[in-house]
Amino acid sequence: MRARPYGNRPALRRGALTPYLFLAPGLALFAAFRVYPLLDGLRLSFTNARLGRAQYAFVGLANYERLLEDTRFHVSLVNTAFYSVASTLPILAIPLLLAVALNRGIALRTFLRSAFFFPFTLSVVTVGLTWLWLLDPVVGPFNYYLKALGIPVRSWLADPTTAMWAIIVTSVWWVTGYYLVIYLAGLQDIPRELYEAAALDGAGGARAFWAITLPLLRPVFLFVFVTHVIGSFQIFGQVFILTQGGPGDATRTVVQHLYETAFQNFFHFGSASAMAWVLFALILVFSLLQFRLLRGHTQY
Amino acid sequence: MRAQLGLSRRVGLSVLMAGFAILWLLPAVWVLVTSLKLTENIIRVPPEWIPWPATLAHYGEVLFSSSRTARIGRAFVNSAIVSVGTVALVVLTSAMAAYPLARMRFRGRNVIFALLVGSLMIPNAVVLVPQYILTHRLGWLSTYQGLIVPEAAMTFAFGVFLLRQFFLTMPAELEDAARIDGAGPWRIFTRILLPLSQPALGALAIFAFRSAWNDFLWPLIAVNKPEMFPLPVALALLRGAYSSESYGPIMAGATLSALPLLIVFLLANRRIIEGARVSGLKG
Repeated sequence: MRARPYGNRPALRRGALTPYLFLAPGLALFAAFRVYPLLDGLRLSFTNARLGRAQYAFVGLANYERLLEDTRFHVSLVNTAFYSVASTLPILAIPLLLAVALNRGIALRTFLRSAFFFPFTLSVVTVGLTWLWLLDPVVGPFNYYLKALGIPVRSWLADPTTAMWAIIVTSVWWVTGYYLVIYLAGLQDIPRELYEAAALDGAGGARAFWAITLPLLRPVFLFVFVTHVIGSFQIFGQVFILTQGGPGDATRTVVQHLYETAFQNFFHFGSASAMAWVLFALILVFSLLQFRLLRGHTQY
Repeated sequence: MRAQLGLSRRVGLSVLMAGFAILWLLPAVWVLVTSLKLTENIIRVPPEWIPWPATLAHYGEVLFSSSRTARIGRAFVNSAIVSVGTVALVVLTSAMAAYPLARMRFRGRNVIFALLVGSLMIPNAVVLVPQYILTHRLGWLSTYQGLIVPEAAMTFAFGVFLLRQFFLTMPAELEDAARIDGAGPWRIFTRILLPLSQPALGALAIFAFRSAWNDFLWPLIAVNKPEMFPLPVALALLRGAYSSESYGPIMAGATLSALPLLIVFLLANRRIIEGARVSGLKG
């Protein structure tokens, strides 16, 4: 380099810049619309920013303190937690059972997989409208067939004890196909020799499921679990279409409360940002907990 | 679990699963059936599963009606523009970013990749308010770019992840041969890497199309002019515009909104499933 002060330098520098030039457009997009909003939200949560207010002041922890007293926020946290807990078992189990059944060399496997996957191609609005119509208390087919079977019916979405369950059923219908595909991929990665060896030892069917399938699916399980819980903390669309948070506040969720605080009723960007960061913190804590709970044992 | 079942049990299981699958599709079938019925037949009890006499009147109403809320036709065009724009932006930026991350050595590579993967954990709801303020400052509310750019930013990190995995599997000899022939990195990228990556690019394109076509929360906030609504927002408002005994137009709108992805799904079933499967590998 000393000997040739100019020689290769321009070419070298251009070559050294190449990776960054390729990265630049995407990273600019990413920095402006992912990283910056995330950090700006944290800053806003310490201010009294509102829609249309040009000047705003830092108010310290006031927004967070107000959340401690906001009973509707507490209700929305409880409802979100209920949704999260109550939907986890069906969303972990139903796609798994379907995947195991589909993986047993049955006819029409591809077609059946597609049938279960289809609802996942729909928007949450279409899914919500579909179930709104199915569950219509007077003229919807769901109640008609229940009555025909002699099962007592009610207005599922207007009853505070069942509204959230109706939303859970809707969500299960929507996302089962997605998790089914993921489980199927996981099942195919399990070496077949293990089952053959187990069969030689006389362990077939249910024994093999508990002793081989479930333990070896643990990483897939972890993925489904974490993905679902993160998603369930953010549930919004189903509620918006099916119940608007009602009856009363029985299905009001955190993101819906955030949406209304920021964009519908009060236009309080500061306190909505505080809610967003509380939600983010909860999601991080629960994700880490889940990793710790399920990681340790992935080896076989 | 391919352990061999006896033939009779296999037939039994097939029939059972086929029954489940049909049951699973019934809600969607009910939407389609409703959209084709005469208004007076829609709320008949017991439910009728054959829409006869059939009519396309509800489709005509939501597509061409002059009423301000029922402009599903316009919303369809908006959604198409936004989704295609998002796909183009995501595929281009992710492919360009994934190339050096997979095939070049440079300072900061691991940090950048770790940041991108970590960002997959950021919930969209958390960036909603600041993203709204940013879009507002740019003057992009109720514009196509105000939907396309944030939508693309949402999918970018996943796109990089997916394409990097694919680029990593390509043999280095291809690049070396091109380099000996005097090809620069851009030429290698456009002439060798991209053409050979069509399956991965296709999977990413479908994934990005699906999330842009179906996204609801962001357009609900970022658009306040009815003529700029994408389909999910227009449909949600259609629900309020019609009283509950008139499910026909709503179900026609719902069917129309499902159509493009249904067609893609029928044509590229394997690729969609592959895209969903790969998205699961990030865990």
